[in-house]
Amino acid sequence: MDMEDYFEYTAKLFDQSAIMGKPEALKGIRVLDFSHVIFGPTAARILGDYGAEVIKLELPYYGDLWRPATYWGKYWKHSNPIWHSVTKNKYFITVNLRLQKSKDLIYRMAEKADVVVENFAPGTAEAWGLGYSQMSKINPKIIYLSCSTYGQYGPMRYFPGWDLLAQAASGVLSLNGYPNTDRFYKLPDYLGDFGPGNFGALAIVMALYYRNKTGKGQYIDIAQTEAMMRMLYHFTFYSLTGRELGRVGNTDPTMIGAAIYKTRDEKFVALACGTTKQFHGLLKALGREELAKEERFINYRETLKPENNEYLRKLVAEWVKGKTAEEVVASGRDYEFPAAEVMDDYQICYDEWRRERGSVILFRDDMYGEIALSGPSAQLSGTPSRIKWIARPLGYHNRYVLKKFLGLSEEEIVALEKQKVIGTFDDRPGLKPPVYYNLDNDPIYNYGREVGK
Amino acid sequence: MTTETKEAIYTRYGRPSELARALAQIMDPEGKPEVLEDVLVLDASYANFSGIIAASLFAEFGAEVLKIEPPQGDPARHMTPEGEEVEGVGIPFIVEGRNKRYMTLDLINSPEDRETFRKLAKKAAVVIETFPAGQMDSWGIGYRQLKAENPGLIYIAITPYGQYTKKAREFVRLPDSDITAQAGSGLPANMGDIPEAGEPYNWPLKAGLWAAWYISGLSAALGGAIALVHRQNTGEGQMIDVASMDSYANMVTIPPTIGYTWEKPRPRIGVLDFILYPYGHWQCKDGMVAIAAPRDHDFRALLKILGLWEIEDDWRYSSDRIPDILEQATHLHKIIQEKTIKYNADELVAKALNYSKKAARSKWRGGGVPIVMRVMTPVTAMANKQWHIRKAFQEVEEPALGKRFILNASFVKMSESPPRIKWVATQIGRDNEYVREKYLAES
Repeated sequence: MDMEDYFEYTAKLFDQSAIMGKPEALKGIRVLDFSHVIFGPTAARILGDYGAEVIKLELPYYGDLWRPATYWGKYWKHSNPIWHSVTKNKYFITVNLRLQKSKDLIYRMAEKADVVVENFAPGTAEAWGLGYSQMSKINPKIIYLSCSTYGQYGPMRYFPGWDLLAQAASGVLSLNGYPNTDRFYKLPDYLGDFGPGNFGALAIVMALYYRNKTGKGQYIDIAQTEAMMRMLYHFTFYSLTGRELGRVGNTDPTMIGAAIYKTRDEKFVALACGTTKQFHGLLKALGREELAKEERFINYRETLKPENNEYLRKLVAEWVKGKTAEEVVASGRDYEFPAAEVMDDYQICYDEWRRERGSVILFRDDMYGEIALSGPSAQLSGTPSRIKWIARPLGYHNRYVLKKFLGLSEEEIVALEKQKVIGTFDDRPGLKPPVYYNLDNDPIYNYGREVGK
Repeated sequence: MTTETKEAIYTRYGRPSELARALAQIMDPEGKPEVLEDVLVLDASYANFSGIIAASLFAEFGAEVLKIEPPQGDPARHMTPEGEEVEGVGIPFIVEGRNKRYMTLDLINSPEDRETFRKLAKKAAVVIETFPAGQMDSWGIGYRQLKAENPGLIYIAITPYGQYTKKAREFVRLPDSDITAQAGSGLPANMGDIPEAGEPYNWPLKAGLWAAWYISGLSAALGGAIALVHRQNTGEGQMIDVASMDSYANMVTIPPTIGYTWEKPRPRIGVLDFILYPYGHWQCKDGMVAIAAPRDHDFRALLKILGLWEIEDDWRYSSDRIPDILEQATHLHKIIQEKTIKYNADELVAKALNYSKKAARSKWRGGGVPIVMRVMTPVTAMANKQWHIRKAFQEVEEPALGKRFILNASFVKMSESPPRIKWVATQIGRDNEYVREKYLAES
């Protein structure tokens, strides 16, 4: 049987231009997202990327703390550029939680919601009448995710925390750095929020699967410290050997010759061998095949012994010093051992492979114009992730959500505005629209009102 | 400080309460149904932990996971720190041996075994594999052949550069590893010391854990779970393509957007943060503490706690702490260091908590929430009472290893269908008979 070339087949299967025409796995799922900053919002955002309707609730004239928190204070069109990918595809509405009227609105939304996400300090949502015990009375089928640093029960439950504290409390922070020094560093880019946010999304999707079978909702408690701990084999290593592994610098002690090295052209490459076959490939590239016969390199386990591995890393370092990064990576390709150049923000953004794959997407937004955003961490051929819009000014979807989802009239909304139940933005960047953008002509912002006059 | 007062710091603020007790009860997995009890997963991943980790996550949620490996075992069995093995099994492989079954099939060399795999795949909901793109296809057991017999199949493939694009084709034989996936997806470039720290400290630094492999594995499981919901609704399966060179950048989402808006990469800034200050760690009398007090009122509160109120009106610190002027931020870092070194970690933790508690009660509000936490090692973290009460760690026994040991369990609590660890297994071919009887008997 004559089969089509594999890569031509997969190119069609994952055709990036066909994404908008494909179905969405979570279409019809409605999410109330009370969360703020990164952890909770990421869990909710992933559901939105796959078709769920995510309604993000913020305080009027205040908004999510992360709206104005941009890197080095650099704004992009009066917005925080890195907030767009945390909150894309969401509906932005505001409610003043101090007023009973706001709670009535939320309770009405909860009747028709499937998922709630919150990451207040534990106990806060309950105290405000928005906890699982209250929401599940209104809607017993609700799936409710509470995100926190240490969890909703246990003696440390009231400890406040962010990504950094979860890194510190899990042991992760202590591991990134150099042995026999006190030089260590936190994982960059708030991985202590994004990672647990993805774990949270996984738990919600599992709960949706369960609800499809049984009709039952449930309460989910995710602690970002515990989620980070799931990524460490160090606990078991200690329990089996009685030894602490500690910091390993730029090496990976589970692989042969694994480290980050500097090249002749002043770039950095990572290289590693995970099997004996890969190791022999590397020795071939090094022109040192005779080493494979030596007792200390006779099998994978012997080679991993610290002194043997250290010897090899020195050998590799010398070899890499005489090569360009491109040459090292080409050797990895030709001799079949893992090799990659250390990629920075700029290289990632302009990498041809990522653009072709849909890992970096040049998105054209109706309000903000063109921006580069990261694609999904997994490409789904049947129900792919997609970007519909990026972040919006505070309270941008008030009318749209209240009219379309709750059936409120323009008069009722004007009354809510007067009572300060709902509201929008002030002049702070991150909250307001770009200066060139005229909201008066925006049909979504003015949903159900005449525009463009 | 005595151990008694130390303990009090970590328990004083959350006294046992009805609600907390009830929650602990509700979240106990004992006797609860499992989400994926109707799902069969075939994990054919080879020399690649991201596939093994994805399979573990399905197994924790109750799927029947068959680890498929050649008779001599998956080389991943030997990927272990410094070659430390127990009865020939590496420690990470033991960690990810949760709830698994082991079947030997030599997919690389045996056409008959491939045929057996094909039969199993007819009954499976999920297949996971990490061979070079197109390899399984050339063996007649790739996505397009398997889905012809099982249209509901979810087929997860994990490789460095994915299943499509020119580069995927060119680098199809390039194997995957954690350190290369970290490097290629943007983590090390943003971690490491400032230029003045000198070599090698100012080099890009890899994470001290398998960050890329865990991220790829989690991404694969999350994609697979979403596909399972779609399959439940429509009966349709699909292919899922995870590229490990994507893993970090696409999970944290930040690198491409900064590359675009700033038109250059970020430099490495050591213990500082690009957005928040203070947001890092400092030396204290008996170790290190992490301190986060980034909002203005948090920062002021921290100054009060540390006895630094006199610098409050210095514009450099009060209104412009973002470390874009490196010199300024490192200067402030040293000022804080001079104070933290005078205290024990637990004293600082207590000071911050007491302050926040008082501020929350104050009618003036806005008093700030400065946060301090002792920097734990995995070993000190494990001893924390919080995790004991939350059953975050579980002692298990693997009879084949003749050992009892600790596993990181229960990364999320769920009231109705929680994930859990039922057993740990590691033996090659342990379940060959079981699989033959249960899945291969009639055909």
